[in-house]
Amino acid sequence: MLDIRDLHVRVEDRPILEGVTLSVGAGEVHALMGPNGAGKSTLAHVLAGREGFEVTAGSVTFLGQDLLAMEPHARAAAGLFLGFQYPVEIPGVSNLLFLRTALNAQRRQRGEPEISGAEFLRRVRAEAEVLGLDMEMLKRPVNVGFSGGEKKRNEAFQMGILAPRFALLDETDSGLDIDALKVVADGINRFRGPDRGVLLITHYQRLLDHVRPDAVHVMAAGRIVASGGPELARRLEAEGYGALAA
Amino acid sequence: MIRLPSRRDEGWRWADLRLAERLRAVPPANDRLPDLAALRLPVPARRAVLAGGTVVDAGGLVARADPDRSLAPHPLADIAAEEARAGLVLEVGAGEDGGIVECVHVGTSGAQHAVLRVVLGAGARLVLVQTVADGAAEHWSNIRLDVRLEAGAELLRVLRVATGRGLVSARAAVRLAASARLCDLSLVASPAAARIETHALLEGEGARAELHGVLIARGPAGLDAVSRVDHAVPATASRQVWRLLAAGTAQAAVEGAVVVAPGAQKSDAAQSLRGMVLQRTAAVNLKPELAIHADDVSCAHGCAVGEIDPLQRFYLESRGLPRSAAQALLLRAFASEALAALADPRLSEPVTADLVRQLEALA
Repeated sequence: MLDIRDLHVRVEDRPILEGVTLSVGAGEVHALMGPNGAGKSTLAHVLAGREGFEVTAGSVTFLGQDLLAMEPHARAAAGLFLGFQYPVEIPGVSNLLFLRTALNAQRRQRGEPEISGAEFLRRVRAEAEVLGLDMEMLKRPVNVGFSGGEKKRNEAFQMGILAPRFALLDETDSGLDIDALKVVADGINRFRGPDRGVLLITHYQRLLDHVRPDAVHVMAAGRIVASGGPELARRLEAEGYGALAA
Repeated sequence: MIRLPSRRDEGWRWADLRLAERLRAVPPANDRLPDLAALRLPVPARRAVLAGGTVVDAGGLVARADPDRSLAPHPLADIAAEEARAGLVLEVGAGEDGGIVECVHVGTSGAQHAVLRVVLGAGARLVLVQTVADGAAEHWSNIRLDVRLEAGAELLRVLRVATGRGLVSARAAVRLAASARLCDLSLVASPAAARIETHALLEGEGARAELHGVLIARGPAGLDAVSRVDHAVPATASRQVWRLLAAGTAQAAVEGAVVVAPGAQKSDAAQSLRGMVLQRTAAVNLKPELAIHADDVSCAHGCAVGEIDPLQRFYLESRGLPRSAAQALLLRAFASEALAALADPRLSEPVTADLVRQLEALA
């Protein structure tokens, strides 16, 4: 589904990614772990198309398409979703207006008809109930005045409504208490499916107690330095990154 | 002859009055009018039309130029009083509802002046929409509006300026008696020049004025606004929210003044001036001015100029919005803050639609 090959990325002449190769197949959940500054979030933002990152070598194929040649909105319409580590506050734009505009923009790009107001609200209610989100909160401006946990739940909510093919989740677990962590983990588990993929970026083992990955990769200094099964995450929790990063 | 202000005069630094200087002695021509149906705000209203310095249709109002001579001198308003050949007077009796009145001003080539006078009796209500437009010719359209609101009267005024050429100078002076209410919104979108002034004088206890505005400056525009509230007596309130957008090489400026007179205790004023430049070649100037001569007052103010936040834009794009749509949504959110006080449901929808259309012209 997602195939990253030898990806090199610079930010203002500073190399951040130095040859990342990683492949996630349909139906798989991969975890990407690593210390601060390893380049995990840079990888997520490059994949979603954020400006300011210069790809100097390598390629990324998503569902057979050259991902790096696509505009950010086209990547979303193709089915890629980035769950932000720090979801952005947008004063003056209501959550629901934003989400309906985004969903319809994606549908137009895919040649699908726009969703009706009634159908949209039906989906919103169902998803909000599962995530324990208040409808009143969803009418408020995007992420404004939300707690850290509410922002992360709002990311999971958006993912549920937009129904992407691939979820790229950047430290979705940071800032969550144990109950919110379980809610978000349940969301990821519900998202799992034979034609969907997940790349889960996280610092800690604890999310992986609730979402069992098919593979775990460790990133350090802009490279993947180790890959393995779920046991690798537990080893890291016990021994730290030091041994692998060295 | 009254002297035109220059940029050296205090309070006129950002005003672009070159067309006034050039056209002052040129009488207005009888140009063909643009399609009036397309100009007016789509609400049920009584309508008057002024064009080229004459009343084309009084719309049931009294056609007479009758300035309020008790107001303090003001160069452009005084030139209007001196030189206007046309004007309208609208009086709404005590306790009556005057409904919605729209006055359409069309600038034709040359200089033209108009004087509008509105008097609302005690407890009376009125919605006044002023729509200013033009054809293809350069013009100076100088509009003076003098308003008196008796005790408990309520006026909602919307000034819409959507000109393509020429200079519009529109000055409103509103005197408010006890417990009177003014809600004033200026929506100015133009690639040309405009000087918009609104001055509220809170002269009776319990009076409240809201002076809001959106300036959308594109192309070579020079848009300049002055929003001023005088708290002359105790226990009055004012709100000012101005949002300025400038693209291309355009300039937009607002001076927001709050003046609290000696002894005007319990004055409650809040002001927010914010600007956004879409390109670095554009400019926004904000000038908050607070002159407070009483000690038991609340005067909050904030002022900031910025650009579109690239992270906000990326967040929207990452959810599937094309860049232009993401930008339009952010601009709308920014400008809408000035419309928040527009509580009349008859107006909020068409005025918001107006704003969205004008923002699209920026993209």
